[in-house]
Amino acid sequence: MSEPITFSTTEAILVNTANLIEEDRTYWVAIGGAPMMAMMLARMTHAPRAFFVVEDGTISPEPPEYVPFLSGASGLAGYRALAWKDMNTVGFHCAMGYYDYGILDCLQVDMYGNINSTLLGGTYEKPERRFGGAGGANEIASMCWRTVFMADQEKRKYPERVEFITSPGYLDGSPRAREKAGLPANTGPYRVVSDMAVFGFDEETHRMKLLQIGPWTSVEELFAGMGFEPLVADPLEKLPVPTEQQLSILRAEIDPGGRVLGQGRWIEYQPRD
Amino acid sequence: MEVLASGKGAYRTPDPDGHREWVRTHKSRELKSKVMTAREAVEKFVADGDSLGYDLNMHKRGPTALLHEIVRQKKKDLSVAVRFSGLDPAVLIAGGCVSHIDVGWFIQSGTCSRAIQEGKIRTTEWTNGAVVYRELAGAMGLPFLPLRYIGGTDTFWQSGAKLVRDPFTDKEICLVPALNLDVGLVHVYQADEYGNARVFGAGLSPMETSSCAKKLIISTEEIVSNDEIRRNPQLTTIPYYMVDAVVHIPFGCHPGSVPGLYATDGEAMTEMMIADRMGTMDQYLQKWVYAFETHEEMLDKLVGARKLIQLMQAETIKEGYHV
Repeated sequence: MSEPITFSTTEAILVNTANLIEEDRTYWVAIGGAPMMAMMLARMTHAPRAFFVVEDGTISPEPPEYVPFLSGASGLAGYRALAWKDMNTVGFHCAMGYYDYGILDCLQVDMYGNINSTLLGGTYEKPERRFGGAGGANEIASMCWRTVFMADQEKRKYPERVEFITSPGYLDGSPRAREKAGLPANTGPYRVVSDMAVFGFDEETHRMKLLQIGPWTSVEELFAGMGFEPLVADPLEKLPVPTEQQLSILRAEIDPGGRVLGQGRWIEYQPRD
Repeated sequence: MEVLASGKGAYRTPDPDGHREWVRTHKSRELKSKVMTAREAVEKFVADGDSLGYDLNMHKRGPTALLHEIVRQKKKDLSVAVRFSGLDPAVLIAGGCVSHIDVGWFIQSGTCSRAIQEGKIRTTEWTNGAVVYRELAGAMGLPFLPLRYIGGTDTFWQSGAKLVRDPFTDKEICLVPALNLDVGLVHVYQADEYGNARVFGAGLSPMETSSCAKKLIISTEEIVSNDEIRRNPQLTTIPYYMVDAVVHIPFGCHPGSVPGLYATDGEAMTEMMIADRMGTMDQYLQKWVYAFETHEEMLDKLVGARKLIQLMQAETIKEGYHV
């Protein structure tokens, strides 16, 4: 029998996202968080030519290690970039259609792929809990051709409808809802990635649809981590299990201090021979 | 042009002609020295009730020393354009300087969240990009610009954006109003005494923030000669005629980093983050700001030359910064 593979939920969501990243595509990646770590993992494994920009205008850097937004705002994050521009320039390039994918992590994502990073409870004027607001996520979710959201599989993160649409998914799900709001045509949420699964969206109804599930979990366990029941693809595919190579690169090269990877809970998966 | 929907957020009505008139009457065309201390610059150019914006943040090449001086002088009732921020809005809010923020984004901050939840400061919702894009409109002398995002969201409804029918294509498009800041702050690598300034590395909005502001204070790591500026005009980011004050403050972003020059002071930064989380920003400001007359005095007495040299040595990547 094979050895069991042990990885954390944080490692799982990073690997599941990295696996979606393609060679010779352009990505607008949220600065200094899980999306950046997933991008670095992909570039160090199967997709060294995946191209990315971040919102401060850094175009295609080659940082030697993961640089957290707060403590590592040094030359490292912009090292060996192709160009150093500014926020508006990146926005213009995205508006023209140069960026294929956006990758964002989010507080909440709903059945239509709308995300909330503004408030929970109360009113806008007097929220019970207030968060940082749209940031660059609104630009990314509006203008990249396809947007990938990362959200841990927890019920509070997957409400049926978010109470505040900070950045747009398919809005109310109706046909052309995004275009009617002035957003570029043929754009929108593409995948939602969790530590257990990868979701897409139904082309007609724009409702979230389960596409792939980790062999280390079950549909019942997955649905317990959601505030609504998504559509389910038939056949439902299995996600690849994180490889030794992916896990060792994450642990030894991307986050050697374990500041990020140590979060979440541990999964032990016994592969069948 | 048919207006299809309007956000209900508060914003100041754009006034391009008023801004032109300000530029005509207040912006000196003379090549004269504008070098002054941070205290003089803030006394002279920051008024209670002003709108304030700055390039980048306290963590990376932001004007930390100038923001601290604003806190030290207890400026009041500022409306701050907060985009891509670090703990800078937390410092200004804790200092009692802020009554309104334009939210592009603020980092997870106990101070900011509490102030909004308790109704102490009002907010208008935008996005990071929308804030610097509004500054771009202001920097172009226009009343508004169209954009391909913000629409369809609750962010839109809490902003000052409008959804209109584009008269050229007959399709829907959002517009945002220009932002002409009362005060812009930009921390630069090098400037001459007149204000011709150089910014290196990726910047957020050094040109937009400089150009849209009625009053512009730059702080600089280094003063260079006008001859040096003229030897490499390609490197000039900000021309002198936009600049009202040049403040020479080495380590002007401390505890943050200026890429290529010095690294983040991790200990001091951690202290700020803990103070923000624990709700003890008053003590933090007492220790780091109020206890000193100037940023230089703070660096001298609280940080020390040995630490500053270590921060310079820790910033190992120099490529591309012309320093």
